[in-house]
Amino acid sequence: MPLPLHELATSDTISPIVRLTENGLDIVVADDSRSRSKTSLIPERALLPGEQYRFHFDMTKCIGCRSCEVACNEQNGNPANLRWRRIGEIEGGAWPDTSRHYLSMGCNHCLSADCLRGCPVDAYKKDPVTGIVLHSAEACIGCQYCVWNCPYSVPQFNPERGVVGKCDMCHGRLTAGLEPACVNSCPENAIEIEIVDQLEWRSDYAAANAPGMPNAGHTISTTRITLPANSDVTLERVDIETLRAEHPHWSLVWMTSLIQLSAGTLAAGLLSGQTDPIALTIILLLTAFTLNVSILHLGRPAYAWRALKMWRRSWLSREVLLFGLFFVSLTVLTVVAWCAAIYVSHSILAAQRTLQYITPLVGVAGILASARIYLVPARPAWNTQHTPADFLLSSAVLGCAATPILNQITLFFHQRSLFNLPSNACEFHEITVWPLIATTGLWMMNHIVRAIGLHRSEVYERRASASLLNTHGLRGTFLVAFAFAGLAVLMALACQPLFALLAAFAAIVTSRYLFFVSVVPLNMALTFVRQVHA
Amino acid sequence: MSDISIVQRVKRFVGIDTQAEKYAYAQDPAYGFISESRVAERWIKTTCGYCSVGCGMLVGVRDNKAVAVRGNPDHPVNAGKLCPKGLSEHHILDAPGRARQPLLRKEGVLTPVSWDEALDTMVSRIRDIQGRYGNESLGVVGTGQLLTEECYTLGKLVQLGFRTRNNDGNTTLCMASAVSGYKLSFGSDGPPGSYADMQSADVILLVGANIADNHPILCHRVDRTSPGTKPRTLIVVDPRVTKTAMMSDIHLAIKPRSDIALLNGIAHVLIREGLIDHEYIRQHTTGFEEYAEFVSTFTPACVASITGLTEERLIEVALLYGRARAAFIGWTMGVNHSTQGSVTVAAINNLALITGNIGRTGAAPFSITGQCNAMGTRESGFTASLPGYRKFDSLADRTDLARIWNIDVERIPASRGLAYPDIIEAAVQGRIKALWFVATNPAVSFPNYKLLEHALRSVEFLVVQDGFHPTPTSEFAHLVLPAAIWGEKEGTFTNSERRISKVNPVVSPPGEARSDFDIFLAIAKRLGVKEGLYPGWNTTHDAFLEWQRVSAGRMCDYSRFTWKQIEDENGLQWGGASLYRDGVFATDDGRARIHCVPCDPFTEQPDVNFEFILNTGRTVEHWHTRTKTAQVDLLNDMVPNAWLEMNPADANRLSLKPHDRVTVRSRRGAVSDLELRITGIVAPGQVFMPFHFSETNSNIVTLGAFDPISREPNFKQCAVSIERTPRSNRRSVAARR
Repeated sequence: MPLPLHELATSDTISPIVRLTENGLDIVVADDSRSRSKTSLIPERALLPGEQYRFHFDMTKCIGCRSCEVACNEQNGNPANLRWRRIGEIEGGAWPDTSRHYLSMGCNHCLSADCLRGCPVDAYKKDPVTGIVLHSAEACIGCQYCVWNCPYSVPQFNPERGVVGKCDMCHGRLTAGLEPACVNSCPENAIEIEIVDQLEWRSDYAAANAPGMPNAGHTISTTRITLPANSDVTLERVDIETLRAEHPHWSLVWMTSLIQLSAGTLAAGLLSGQTDPIALTIILLLTAFTLNVSILHLGRPAYAWRALKMWRRSWLSREVLLFGLFFVSLTVLTVVAWCAAIYVSHSILAAQRTLQYITPLVGVAGILASARIYLVPARPAWNTQHTPADFLLSSAVLGCAATPILNQITLFFHQRSLFNLPSNACEFHEITVWPLIATTGLWMMNHIVRAIGLHRSEVYERRASASLLNTHGLRGTFLVAFAFAGLAVLMALACQPLFALLAAFAAIVTSRYLFFVSVVPLNMALTFVRQVHA
Repeated sequence: MSDISIVQRVKRFVGIDTQAEKYAYAQDPAYGFISESRVAERWIKTTCGYCSVGCGMLVGVRDNKAVAVRGNPDHPVNAGKLCPKGLSEHHILDAPGRARQPLLRKEGVLTPVSWDEALDTMVSRIRDIQGRYGNESLGVVGTGQLLTEECYTLGKLVQLGFRTRNNDGNTTLCMASAVSGYKLSFGSDGPPGSYADMQSADVILLVGANIADNHPILCHRVDRTSPGTKPRTLIVVDPRVTKTAMMSDIHLAIKPRSDIALLNGIAHVLIREGLIDHEYIRQHTTGFEEYAEFVSTFTPACVASITGLTEERLIEVALLYGRARAAFIGWTMGVNHSTQGSVTVAAINNLALITGNIGRTGAAPFSITGQCNAMGTRESGFTASLPGYRKFDSLADRTDLARIWNIDVERIPASRGLAYPDIIEAAVQGRIKALWFVATNPAVSFPNYKLLEHALRSVEFLVVQDGFHPTPTSEFAHLVLPAAIWGEKEGTFTNSERRISKVNPVVSPPGEARSDFDIFLAIAKRLGVKEGLYPGWNTTHDAFLEWQRVSAGRMCDYSRFTWKQIEDENGLQWGGASLYRDGVFATDDGRARIHCVPCDPFTEQPDVNFEFILNTGRTVEHWHTRTKTAQVDLLNDMVPNAWLEMNPADANRLSLKPHDRVTVRSRRGAVSDLELRITGIVAPGQVFMPFHFSETNSNIVTLGAFDPISREPNFKQCAVSIERTPRSNRRSVAARR
């Protein structure tokens, strides 16, 4: 069913304006010229099936006055650090033949919206009538995966609310026959709402591309941009030297590192024959702790369970599901191991053996799903095979470093006979340091190759990530991560397994921190001078 | 901390509470779907309090709080549109930085006092100082932020109450040269045209006017591409490739301060090609013969070498201007902010006069003014002239005023007192011992900060009356008077095109703040001049009624409009759409004067130690010294700090990179920690910085050189050097490369 936009646009219900007069307040009706000018910037006919609304931005008209940005924030009551519509600058040429133009962009209401695809809770909806990409603050749990997925950095997390928000083309105004706040405020009429045929646009969306905008092909942006005719000047973004460290997402730094420790330790332990229930219990407790840490990343931790909802579509849901299964499987394995330790039966042993294969596999699958989350085109520095490699190698390093300690703890319990168990606990093989050395070497190699790859990349955002890693603040951190890794090996060689584990963990956490802060997301060009929010 | 807040904090932490109420939407009865926080109970019609474009607006009020602003769709100036400052203007009313109570310096500390104590102290201290050093030891600097009614009241209070002639306004930093230039050519102030002239002109020549940043709501007037607009040529003269220059058809990127050569050169070509209006010149002007002789030396070759333009470009522009049926020249601070500002304005007027491009639709030499009521202060002020464009040196004018005011004519001074920069200099010399600043912030806006600081520290008593405290100026004050601002007062503003618009109160002032008008009357009462100067006055409307009588029959005649008419009609222009339609000017013989204007190089030329020419200016997000716009989170977030623009060629030479922190140094001082922007917007050898920021005050380096006629400072050119700021001198180490 089409919106009543067409009817409202033509038979405009003229809004009354209250004025102060001598006698107090009178309601007077605005004149015709006003209602005409009011509706000329939104479509005058209803949408047909297969059509949607879109923004048209005329770069030749925009004077960069930023009224649209202010109007947007006033319309939506947003604080200063959140801007659903943003202005960017692009510049080129040499004085006096210099050109500078502006971009004014809200959401592009893409045909193939990545925000929507990634959302684990189905908070996004591409409105079947208008094509507007709508976001529900109610449904949102604040996981911010959409923020990572959008190539225009359109969805923005509001820490005060714990949820994300974005431009909805002033859906509430459009349905009442009013143009969006940005369109309404522009003194040059540079922004308007148009109708686009979705099928046609999918086959030719060239007009969505502009200097300073990420390639529209990522998600098929619907915003049409009119470019200046004098194309002999190459317009470039002016903000590319503004390198800002991204949010570190500490809970994710800890969560990914700890879950890799859990899964890695379980896998390494089982490979080395460690099936002791005490060891499994320790890993289980660690996993439970980790899963609790992970929900602190969410803006709305109480609704973490909703993240399972979109497992058929979202890698974030799949990660949650697989780590959930890992936890369940590990719990059962631990219970079975305790049973087996107390009462040996054939069926219990069979179950234990099966679970000993299944649980680490689920764990590794979870780690791969976890890595898959970061393989998004909108974050080019993450979107490489180095990410899953790093996650797996981190697991391996931590597993190799943790196993000797785990064995010592288990041994400790048995020697003190704290639990009256048959002492099969000491039957595991002697652990050597070679796996740790090998995995650490590979882990380092992966990081070095990644850094070189970023540095040499054709993609601006990857090079910018490399530059960020090479800034005064982060370069040292990068070296510290490597120093910790080296220290872990030295400690292992010096038969100090506890210190080896701590050093290895420190290396992983440090490098994971860098992973988060050094990513430069795809974004539209922004302004040169601006407040840089972390 | 109460239990409830702990519960709420926990709820927020786990995500049960998303502050959905705060971010809820609702239906505004007038404007439809909008954030609930912006839904108003009633809308009050008023006029914007930022710049002189004079946009009509509606302010939404709920629970005595201004919650939203809308452009007034029926207002002829802006037809419902507003710039970002106007759109967020309601936020300044309850800003944390508002001045809320009178503060008196006691033992070195500004201490809250009652209004009675504040004003008693002020009057007794000033009386005491005047008793010891003479009446003229008091200097007063007012502002274009006041209502016309308040400005009129203040003028009488200072000149007739305190009996000092040393009364001027911050408008001297802004448009004094336009006033002087108009007086030179036409015998009186008064911009002859209207905004609509830009739409009907064939050629629009903007000289030193970056309207896209400074008057953005005027930009649609030069729109040449939208359906229904007249095809015409926009020519922008500016050494910098401003936003406005980029909108133009022809940008003349002249060398700094070569505008007079350009204007004379255009005249040279016009005369040579016969593209002048001999009839108009003969009937309505004097001085053409000497002028024609004078500009004969400004050959295209000569002008090309001074301006850096090609001869072809110069001739092309001259022909465009000469062949236009109607040609409009607009200018702002690029012209005014100069030691030659007044005569540059005269040179602009010359072009209009010799081609008859004045007093007709689409044709005017038009000064686009700065502050919301700069025009009102020009008309009603008692500073550079007597109220109603009257002259100090005219006995007839003085007698006229004395009659209206019912006072002895001897009480009206026969010559003007010190202009703003001379008041400051007199304070340094010890001739001015008490200073009273009303709604202005010289510590950021006045050139050559060191001298100003000396003046502020030299005086015995410094009163700062402002809507905000602390400001960089109020920190020096002995007495701070908290004043109401735009949105809290009723009266009129007059915009650049002489349109008188109504300003209405939407909320009450914060704390104990009072309107400037109330403060003036309370002071008058203490001086014992209340009944003599302001008989029976209670409100600004009483001031308006007297101002109507004072302006009646004058060029700026307010007697034809009541407040109600002004409000109902969304502003009314005195003098109609154009002045001088009959070709009769305000000179003795009714003829306009054509002046010969020599082109001199600007005062402080770059040299080997100070190799760059510093240009200063503005950005659309901020207003003047940022006392207001720094209080609006969104605007301040958009542009939180100043920057320095430098050409890539110079940056390469100095091995500087984008976002490097640089220091600008002149003979007078240095400003550190500016964010470097390397851009082709500025020419090699020139740098540009915005002046809004007290943290990086451009006036620490600017030159204290003033126009001999208007006394306006030369903010636009001085010689500086640029170097990288040492790490120790930086305020913050941002996470930038």
